Amino acid sequence: MSSTDQPVPPANAAEEEEFPEERQLLPSFGNIKLVWFVYGVFGLLLLITFGFVIFQPIKVLPRVRLAPGYILTDQDGVTVNNEQFRGKLTLYNFTYTRCQPPGCRQLDAIMKEVQERVDEVETYGLPIEFVTITIDPEHDTPEVLKAYAEELGADTTTWHFLTSDDPKQIRRVVGTGFQVYYKALGDGEFEFIPTMILVDGWGIVRGIYNGRVYMPETERILAHFNVVASEAAFSKGANRVGYEAAHLFLCYAD
Amino acid sequence: MSKKWKWILGILAIAVLLFLGAYFVGSKLRPYAYHGMVMQSTEPPGDFTLIDHNGNRMHLSDYEGKWVILYYGYTFCPDVCPTTMMQLGRMMPLLGKKAKDVQVFMISVDPERDTPERLKEYVTYFHPSFIGLTGTPEEIADAAAPFGIYYKKQEVEGASDYLMDHTASVTVLDPEGRVRLIWPYGTTSEEMAEDLLHLMR
Repeated sequence: MSSTDQPVPPANAAEEEEFPEERQLLPSFGNIKLVWFVYGVFGLLLLITFGFVIFQPIKVLPRVRLAPGYILTDQDGVTVNNEQFRGKLTLYNFTYTRCQPPGCRQLDAIMKEVQERVDEVETYGLPIEFVTITIDPEHDTPEVLKAYAEELGADTTTWHFLTSDDPKQIRRVVGTGFQVYYKALGDGEFEFIPTMILVDGWGIVRGIYNGRVYMPETERILAHFNVVASEAAFSKGANRVGYEAAHLFLCYAD
Repeated sequence: MSKKWKWILGILAIAVLLFLGAYFVGSKLRPYAYHGMVMQSTEPPGDFTLIDHNGNRMHLSDYEGKWVILYYGYTFCPDVCPTTMMQLGRMMPLLGKKAKDVQVFMISVDPERDTPERLKEYVTYFHPSFIGLTGTPEEIADAAAPFGIYYKKQEVEGASDYLMDHTASVTVLDPEGRVRLIWPYGTTSEEMAEDLLHLMR
């Protein structure tokens, strides 16, 4: 205790004399401004970085993984493949028509709402397509899907209902590719996690919607169309640095 | 040396250090602009098993620890595949010592005509380290779908031969097997090497 209370020993008398002399020297030295300039640049860089991280002026969606490649058959019996959706935004969902409402049909209803309201979104000319893939290809033939699309009142010019005559292909695309869990329980019943997936023009998954959300799904998906479309439209030249920084700092849209 | 000069030198040294620091931090903060599309995958898309060009069965997971580059094509391919394979071949020497950490695979989307022997002759023409892969149609479908690859046989009218329509991009996997980069068709060997060296830092 007593040792910490000891007063600081007085400084050397000679040093005390020299310091004021040096302080007087400083302002007269013109190049000192360089230091403040460097401090300024450094501080500005830090501020810009913190500002970017805190205020997140650019919002993006993560590039989660690759969407699968596929060839499937639509409700009119026409083959459809993933390359047809390159350069477009595509919203996928998965369903089976024998599902009893409400259950998995909720997502088909959301798809319809999104399709009806898609004109409200600024997409800078980026086309938007909708794809529903059945997980029950043995029952959901193109004819069944066509009837289902009519029942839903879906606009099939931009909404494609896909199936395959090879159940393994559905497993490959939906299970392995889109990583959506589903399991046949027999008697036309399935256990599965209703999921919607947003895929960008590069064939990259940008959004996965499976119930854990904060906003009503429709609003959120419509907002996400704009986020991905904006990046596609503006992430060029110097702006690209900003967009890539947003990816680096995980400035993800809600 | 007078006190004044010590001050001047000290201030200059601090200025230089600060400037270098700011430059270093600045260059680290500015993201590198990749020529390909960067992915933020957190897990591998999954394993596959195929036959390599020596006739041995391989698993993609055998190559964990290497930077794996996947290209899906076929040896009868008239223009797109040789162009991309040539760029990949030219990329290898640009990687210098790091080339030994990179393994390029060409996966045949035309197993009917691409025998292991034919594949070996084809891929090693572009670079001796390249490995050609083939398998049953089922195995190839399983190896292509998770990587976003589409392919389809195109019958040409009046010809006995056929073409394959297929996704032409190149996929880069990190040593943990996660997709890190997609190069579109037309990416040059210099751009590929630059991207890879930056990823491998």
